[in-house]
Amino acid sequence: MESGYFGADRSQRIARERVQAQWMDAYAPIRHLDPVLVLIALALSVIGIAMVYSAKAHQLQLQQLPTDLYATKQTIALAVGMVALLVTATFDYRYFRAYAIAVYVGSLLGLVLVLTPLGVEVNGTQAWLSFGGFQLQPAEFAKVAVIVTLAALLHERRETPGIVTVALGLVIVGVPLLLILQQPDPGTATVFLWLAFALFLVGNIQARYLGAMLAAGIAGVWAVLRFELLAKHQVDRLTAFLDPNNPALSQSIRYNADQSLIAIGSGQFLGKGYMDGTQTNLAYVPENHTDFIFTVVGEEFGFVGATIVLGLFALLMWRGIRIAMMAKDLFGTLLAVGAVAMIAFQVFVNVGMAVGIMPVIGIPLPFVSYGGTSLIAGLVLIGLLLNVHMRRF
Amino acid sequence: MTTDERPTLRLTLLTVLVAGMLLALLSRLWFLQVLAGERYAELADSNRVRFVVLDAPRGRILAQDGQELVKNRPAQTVSAHPRDLLDLRGEPLDEDAARVLDRLSVLLDLEQDRIVERLLSRKYSPFRPVPVAEDVPREVILAVNEHKELFRGVEAETLPVRTYPHGTMAAHLVGYLGEINETELTEVEYAGYRPGDLIGWAGLERTYESDLNGQEGLRKLEVNAKGDVLRVFEERPPVRGNDLVTSLDLELQGEVERILEEGIIASREIERKDGRFLPSVAGAAVVLDPRDGSVRAMASYPVFDPSQFVGGVTQGYWDFLRDAANEYPLLNRAVQSAYPPGSVFKIVSGSAALLGGLITTESRISCPPAWRLGNLTFRNWSPRHEGSMDLTRALKRSCDTFFYELARQEWSREEAQPDDQVDETLPRVAAEFGLGARLGVDLPSESPGVIPSREWRKTYWEQHKDTYCRKAEELTPGSYAQRVNADLCRDGGRWRGGDAVNRSIGQGDVLLTPLQVAATYMAIANGGTVYAPQVGERIVDFDGTVIREIEPEVVSTLSLTPAQMAEIRRGLEAVVMDRTFPSGTGSSAFRDFPIETIPVAGKTGTAELRPKVPYAWFASYAPANDPQYVVVVAVEQGGGGSQTAAPIVRSIYDAIFDLGDTEFEEGPRTD
Repeated sequence: MESGYFGADRSQRIARERVQAQWMDAYAPIRHLDPVLVLIALALSVIGIAMVYSAKAHQLQLQQLPTDLYATKQTIALAVGMVALLVTATFDYRYFRAYAIAVYVGSLLGLVLVLTPLGVEVNGTQAWLSFGGFQLQPAEFAKVAVIVTLAALLHERRETPGIVTVALGLVIVGVPLLLILQQPDPGTATVFLWLAFALFLVGNIQARYLGAMLAAGIAGVWAVLRFELLAKHQVDRLTAFLDPNNPALSQSIRYNADQSLIAIGSGQFLGKGYMDGTQTNLAYVPENHTDFIFTVVGEEFGFVGATIVLGLFALLMWRGIRIAMMAKDLFGTLLAVGAVAMIAFQVFVNVGMAVGIMPVIGIPLPFVSYGGTSLIAGLVLIGLLLNVHMRRF
Repeated sequence: MTTDERPTLRLTLLTVLVAGMLLALLSRLWFLQVLAGERYAELADSNRVRFVVLDAPRGRILAQDGQELVKNRPAQTVSAHPRDLLDLRGEPLDEDAARVLDRLSVLLDLEQDRIVERLLSRKYSPFRPVPVAEDVPREVILAVNEHKELFRGVEAETLPVRTYPHGTMAAHLVGYLGEINETELTEVEYAGYRPGDLIGWAGLERTYESDLNGQEGLRKLEVNAKGDVLRVFEERPPVRGNDLVTSLDLELQGEVERILEEGIIASREIERKDGRFLPSVAGAAVVLDPRDGSVRAMASYPVFDPSQFVGGVTQGYWDFLRDAANEYPLLNRAVQSAYPPGSVFKIVSGSAALLGGLITTESRISCPPAWRLGNLTFRNWSPRHEGSMDLTRALKRSCDTFFYELARQEWSREEAQPDDQVDETLPRVAAEFGLGARLGVDLPSESPGVIPSREWRKTYWEQHKDTYCRKAEELTPGSYAQRVNADLCRDGGRWRGGDAVNRSIGQGDVLLTPLQVAATYMAIANGGTVYAPQVGERIVDFDGTVIREIEPEVVSTLSLTPAQMAEIRRGLEAVVMDRTFPSGTGSSAFRDFPIETIPVAGKTGTAELRPKVPYAWFASYAPANDPQYVVVVAVEQGGGGSQTAAPIVRSIYDAIFDLGDTEFEEGPRTD
């Protein structure tokens, strides 16, 4: 009987366990890695390194510095970012809910530290922490932290997404936002407002609260203009793009935007060729390795190249939204939505300011702009997307 | 979690939003790169391509032996590109530009407003940086070049500017430069010039502008945003202006200027009969070569400093030059001032008498101390009766009454002729001497002088009749001035005997420039040819190849016979060399002069210009038997010609013939 049991059942059990193992194997997270997503992120990062090299090589040569100075730093950041991506993808994302608060507090700590004398000021904004040659931008990590924390909150209170949830959510967004305004970096601050809106939208917050938020935003902009809460030149800088032919606006306000338009426009359909952009080589576009990196793409690769880069972003977002759709729980959906929303917003604002349909506010182009923290944070978001995708069953 | 819990609808909303953003970007890119791409491509080119004007050095002005009167020196100049620093309203472009302007202001010790003013000035070419400060110290240039990052849009350049190795020497001849003005820009002569270009404003710089001016070059560069030049696309090198070689004897020029100035100043020590001193306010000296009319030296006193015009004359110096109290130093009196010539004119009236057949070389006319015409008395300068004399002696003693008598005879003869065909002898002969019109010297603003004639008198009266008539009514009836004006009002257009008498001794309305007087003596000296005096001799390019010879130009020739000419020459020689009593009026100034080896001929002149002190003249040539130099000196309010002018001329001959310095020594008061 025993033998019978073992005898007869053993083979059955082996067969059953084999089926089970096959089943388990089929649902193993690693089998559900999204290679397209990884490849796009890698492609954009490599394009970014190439663009940074082109943007800086001539100037570095003039300064008798190694021409690949920036490109090398960016490559190191890419390597670090890939490790961060793997780490983020490895541990089940559902655990992140428990650690969300810790991550959030940690990122706030970074934002506070950057305002102390430990922070480094560049172009009037104190946004960097410096560690022995490496510089870190805490705000980039804060974006990720806010996505995770907000997603956790909305998941936690998914049964009662009322006014209390909205209030808590606004606090979560508001604290880092106010800290970032102290740097001051209003551009990055707008990303947080947008993240709150996108996550509230998908996180089933009632339409009336969303409407109220939109109305408050519009009223806020109106109040700023009406009561002159910003200095004249700050307002001019923000509204200059609406009126490109106004000679009263001093040249310095329009200079970046004008030169950027000239760079992109002069690329025409096919571009001037890699390393052959005159605006790029002759440094007519300031910050063309960071905020205005898209001018290098537009000038040297023309409409075709610009479309390809935007196409890669479109693919990336499509994959992200698909992952949001397929996620096992609301937390996963919201993580994916947060990642997609952040990337989409930054692409729109960054490229928008380069082509003159958005005000010039300092927001990097994800994966492409020079800046290690931004690249690593972007890859962490890809890691989150992969994580959600791998564990959708 | 079940499927319907997933917020599909809201996700779709977000997706649409994101897709809309991407579409907006794509359509904008299509517009920029495909529809408007060409325009932006042009803008990109205009960004990186910069044209730089390369200044062409102006040609030099050289003395006959090749010594430099005017040359160029490199001037360290700080310039700035206005569009790198200022916006259209003249405000600093940005904070960085404001800081650059602050630094410039401190570095150049120049008010920021002044810098902005120059940067905005429209007179500068848009192709070149605007000069903000010229002739800055070397340290400033180093500071700008070593800290380019602190001086965005600022350039330290070396520009060629005029320099005068001999200081004020020949300033009136050389002239000076100034910026072309709007009127000149429209003139054909200055086609191709641009605002901000320097042109000759005076002197040879002006006359020979087209030869001296070089052709500026143009460089097409690729520049980056910082203004660093990365590549030269093409370059048209500047062409240096040609040099002007003059006939000036530099050493003599210096001596003549010194002697004129010292003589004028020394003459101010001379006390007049009324106890006052001679004013001797100004003067001129001319040294010509009578063989071709070339100018060997020319001086005008007071002088100015042409180097003050380099980089723009200061208001203070300009005011100084324009102040009447300073006797207008810019005036080249040798060419631009016409004075009554007084007795130096007697060779012209003498020639007229000979050519008009009033006298022959044998004729003798009485020389009384006073001579009457109707109820008017005209006096000789000498109170004693000098007896009867021929033309030679009349010149030697400068007898006025001799010429009065000739003038009366000429006038009577002309009055007898029909009104519409009067043959006026003196104006005709004066024209043979080139008088009454510009000689055509290669110096600007030459005065034509005045040789009064019947027609001149009529025209002049018509222009001034109203003034005479008004004064005749306004002035106290019966006063001398009122009677004169009333007479002029009624009948001032008529050429009267008195006019002819005054004219014969270079008074009345006769006006000649020192250069015209020199030309007159040149014609007597060389046997009858009036050349247009010329300073320029030839134009050569930078390596000395002759581009153009400036040939002597004959203005006119005298119709005097050799015998008549000889008569006049004998008279002029007697003035200087005849010491038998009563001696020649110019002889005492040439006491101790080696006239045996270097015979000198000349004529004194003392021109009345009431109420001023008379103008002193001495006109001469030497050696009298083979004339190589014509020397004329005129001193405004310098008293008698023999007193002030003749000693100056004598010193000039000392310098010419290397006879050692002579102190200015007052001559006797003759005529």
